[in-house]
Amino acid sequence: MKLFEMKMPLSEALAIAVIGISVVIMILALIAVFIILLSKAVRLVEGLVKKKVPASPAVTPAATQSVPEGINSGDVELIGTDEKTAAVIMAIVSEKCGIPLNRLSFKSVRLMDNDEKGGNK
Amino acid sequence: MEMVKDVLIGLWESSGFSIVTGKELIMLLVAFVFLFLAIVKKFEPLLLVPIAFGMLLANLPGAGLMDDPAFLMTEVVDGVEKAHWYEDGVLRLIYAGVKSSIFPCLIFLGIGAMTDFGPLLANPISLLLGAAAQLGVYVAFLLAIILGFTPEEAASIGIIGGADGPTAIFLAGKLAPKLLGPIALAAYSYMALIPLIQPPIMKLLTTEKERKVEMKQLRTVSKAEKIIFPIVVAVICAFIIPSCASLIGFLMLGNLFKECGVTERLSDTAQNALTNIVTIMLGVTVGATANGEDFLTASTLLIVGLGLTAFACSTAGGILLGKVLYLVTGGKINPLIGSAGVSAVPMAARVAQVEGRKYNPTNFLLMHAMGPNVAGVIGSAVAAGFLLMMFGGK
Repeated sequence: MKLFEMKMPLSEALAIAVIGISVVIMILALIAVFIILLSKAVRLVEGLVKKKVPASPAVTPAATQSVPEGINSGDVELIGTDEKTAAVIMAIVSEKCGIPLNRLSFKSVRLMDNDEKGGNK
Repeated sequence: MEMVKDVLIGLWESSGFSIVTGKELIMLLVAFVFLFLAIVKKFEPLLLVPIAFGMLLANLPGAGLMDDPAFLMTEVVDGVEKAHWYEDGVLRLIYAGVKSSIFPCLIFLGIGAMTDFGPLLANPISLLLGAAAQLGVYVAFLLAIILGFTPEEAASIGIIGGADGPTAIFLAGKLAPKLLGPIALAAYSYMALIPLIQPPIMKLLTTEKERKVEMKQLRTVSKAEKIIFPIVVAVICAFIIPSCASLIGFLMLGNLFKECGVTERLSDTAQNALTNIVTIMLGVTVGATANGEDFLTASTLLIVGLGLTAFACSTAGGILLGKVLYLVTGGKINPLIGSAGVSAVPMAARVAQVEGRKYNPTNFLLMHAMGPNVAGVIGSAVAAGFLLMMFGGK
């Protein structure tokens, strides 16, 4: 290899580079548009399904079995979340507050919708 | 007494000590240095240990582990008639997996099975950051052309800027096999050095105000979106650039295994056993391509320099688009996440997180940076497919 002895005209290489990065941006932008359309379509379908099944209860019974031992579980309502996640959240709250689990009483653990202020909680 | 002398002379003449060349000795030293970096300094040890040991094995004098008497890896058509395939060195036989792109594709299968595209689906604008972070690929390509490399070599060197080892090996194996060793080593070495390379560029290109930006929490992505995404992306990419179908196809197949919920065993195998097995074979054989004749040249030093330039330009490309998005969205996007568009997953995202927290301890950028990070994997595969389409003769 001889240094600085170009095997391809610089203008041609420049054109390939510009087209190359443009193609990458174009394809990834196309995928981004597809993702936006997909999420809208999925939300639409999910909305329709929810309307068709109006009586399905969103509230599950108290998670007595998998709530960690020592928690004053009472009637913890799990809304849109599973027992494992609820247990983790309760443990985190206890840790952050510095209050033992057996002295805490939880009323509900609820997954908030995306549209609600503050995003997911 | 004469017989004993003859035996000793024969032993000496057949030993490596009598036939070792200066270049082989230097390559053995280079292999020791890489082993040191991998084991003691922990630079990408899972890859650098097999690569360095492959380099060591291939440069053992007289061992012939990369010999090719059957000309399986050359263009000599009648060579196969003169020798059998099994007469090739064992590493040469395994190297067929690199030449045929089997190993890079299988690694992509594993990466797909390990990747959560959720952050990308929750924030599709991440894809643009992943695209902008391919800037270094084309800058390094241009510089390599100016320096006198052939277009095929320049394309293979440029792809180091994609910060994706398997992609670099895939392209170099097809376009510039003689440069495979230096390119793979440069790619993996710089990936390991990302925590050192990126922060100064991030600091240079962003203001303190930009670095402090807290981003809104990502939305929850539904299961259906995660299942449909890999199928459609594989189709879109393969339709536009068919030469990237193998990499993107395997990446998305692995991801479908992970997300579809009915192939847990396949997903587990792809993530663990298969990836580990292929990593061993890929690493050892890529290291074995680094023989003294091809490695100890000025080209290697140029490749090392161009690779660093490519990494730096890719990082800068992602950050600069991040700054544009910061302005367009009225300060809702932290430009630091643009640096994660170089695809080194998850190292680049972790660097964005660490740098973000330095300026705002309550900031949590990791999940936001994972979007551009996985977009970079797709971006580098598309860039490789484009370069292969241009220079691969297809």
